[in-house]
Amino acid sequence: MSEEVPLLRVEGVRKHFALTKGILFTRTLGHIKAVDDVSFDIRAGETLGLVGESGCGKTTTSRMILNLEEPTEGRILLEGEPIHALRGEALSAYRAKVQAVFQDPWSSLNPRMKVGRTIAESLIVNAWGNRARIDERVRELLVQVGLRPEQAQQYPHEFSGGQRQRVALAAALASQPRLIVLDEPVSALDVSIRAQMMNLLKDIQEKDNVAYLLVAHDLATVRHMADHTVVMYLGKIVERAPTAALFEDVRHPYTKALFSAVLVAWPGQAAAEIELKGEVPSPLDPPSGCRFHTRCPNVMPHCSQREPELREVSSGHFVACHLFE
Amino acid sequence: MTPDRKGETVLEVRDLHTHFFLRRGVVKAVDGVSFSLRRGEVLGLVGESGCGKSLTALSLMRLLPKGGAQTIKGEVLLDGENILERTPAEMRQIRGRRISMVLQDPQTSLNPVFTIGDQLREAIVRRKRAPHAEIMKEAVAALRRVEIAAPEQRIGQYPHQMSGGMKQRVVGAIAISGEPGVLIADEPTTALDVTIQLQYLKLLKRLQAETGMAILFITHDFGVVGRMCDRVAVMYAGRIVECGPVRQIFEAPQHPYTRALIASVPKMTGPVGRLTTIEGQPPSLMDLPVGCRFASRCAHVEQRCLDAYPGTVRVGEEHTADCWKVMPA
Repeated sequence: MSEEVPLLRVEGVRKHFALTKGILFTRTLGHIKAVDDVSFDIRAGETLGLVGESGCGKTTTSRMILNLEEPTEGRILLEGEPIHALRGEALSAYRAKVQAVFQDPWSSLNPRMKVGRTIAESLIVNAWGNRARIDERVRELLVQVGLRPEQAQQYPHEFSGGQRQRVALAAALASQPRLIVLDEPVSALDVSIRAQMMNLLKDIQEKDNVAYLLVAHDLATVRHMADHTVVMYLGKIVERAPTAALFEDVRHPYTKALFSAVLVAWPGQAAAEIELKGEVPSPLDPPSGCRFHTRCPNVMPHCSQREPELREVSSGHFVACHLFE
Repeated sequence: MTPDRKGETVLEVRDLHTHFFLRRGVVKAVDGVSFSLRRGEVLGLVGESGCGKSLTALSLMRLLPKGGAQTIKGEVLLDGENILERTPAEMRQIRGRRISMVLQDPQTSLNPVFTIGDQLREAIVRRKRAPHAEIMKEAVAALRRVEIAAPEQRIGQYPHQMSGGMKQRVVGAIAISGEPGVLIADEPTTALDVTIQLQYLKLLKRLQAETGMAILFITHDFGVVGRMCDRVAVMYAGRIVECGPVRQIFEAPQHPYTRALIASVPKMTGPVGRLTTIEGQPPSLMDLPVGCRFASRCAHVEQRCLDAYPGTVRVGEEHTADCWKVMPA
């Protein structure tokens, strides 16, 4: 990646959760290594896709970026500044710069608040302006996400799922963030509504130069949205590349299996499918060496002993696998 | 079930109407659905939220939600017998043995306070009396059949001790333990990760090959349709608007809604650009238009589309579409 300071830099971040037993005499039974030595950059105005299955650490990573979780090790920098050292006003300013839209449009809005008020919330908190200016801004935001200005007076139950997701996006955009964490933003939506939302996100990015961290499990969505893609498995990055390069030439055996499991709609178009045996092992006691070796179709004797490092196999394309050493 | 009976119609649904009678009005959630299902076949039922696909399934099971839902018209012929005319007691004998169902969320399908073994036993005991040891042996065999490792240990475990994929297998084991001729699978893999989804779909296919059961597979995912189904029916606002062999629907969809729906799916290959969208909203099921239900969102709308419902046109071998503008075969 280039030398300029990226918008967001994630540097060797680990997050270990202690698993404890007992209330008074607490014993630590072990550590869940939810995220284990993860590094990547997000540049201004670009989209980074973070893919992987349940328990791969993608949600924990995004929670650390949102400063909702402290990393056990490593640091995260926004425009060169470590975010977990921020306190007070600097932290509020950070929250204004980094916003989020979550998966479930039914639970992310306060049902007792008119949506105009939900959208205005961050403006009020940051004393952005007087009432009239805030109202004006709310109307602007509603129009920007494809709703009508007068809908500010409605309650969340009066909206459909797709419309609620637009409201959540308007609320995220209110403080003019530099980065929005999109955690499965379209997976709860219907196919036709999903396409509308994806187009809208792209339009807003083009206009406002906002960066997205897109956490998703649907590879086709990532392909259409992301400039770079990071694939995670059990807390580790297994592959990282520009999206077009990755979809052209998948390298890591896990990524290959993941891609082959995507059910290509068009019959006869599916690549040779790789069915992985078993399930993802427990992050409490991850396999030694390469974490994927227990399910890998290309497993070699030394895979269980040595952990592979992320290495560049072609320009900007990094893979953590002993096959590429 | 011998293989030579494959191809025989096992389920036929004719002009099914299931409506919700509310104080505010009548919600016509299923409004004239007809299709048939043959032995050994997988029919996909696709459509977006609120199109009536799940309610169609519940109507077939005669398990309508409380609160005003009622099947007011139509026939559901299971092996030629209209099960809408059976009494609730007779239905309890039919469910599980002749028609069975798997739901989306395995978490809610299993009872958290009973072991897996208890729940399997319940399903087995309902259709035969045998000593406990024999029933438990059968329960272990049922788990083995859905490829659960170490079934002898698993049988004593509770649902929370299992992963989502494993729970869905247990639900599957319960559903097919009575060797039903028809299995309705309502989005069974939506809650699963993609690699686990693939395992589950392959398992369903293997089980189908062994038993010859027919599967009605409800989904909103065209990828699943491509992998699983022989034929597919597309639902919109309470009706099936197009039905045909999977290949034909993908390669030459006839109904404008099917075409728009397929075009709006993000693809894994080809150019990355703006996605095609369908503007507008489906009509309210309380106030359906007299004409074509897709007319308000259709790019090819004409006066006759607004005046009358087009009726079902045969456009090819086993391929039908409800549209004024398609060419009859």
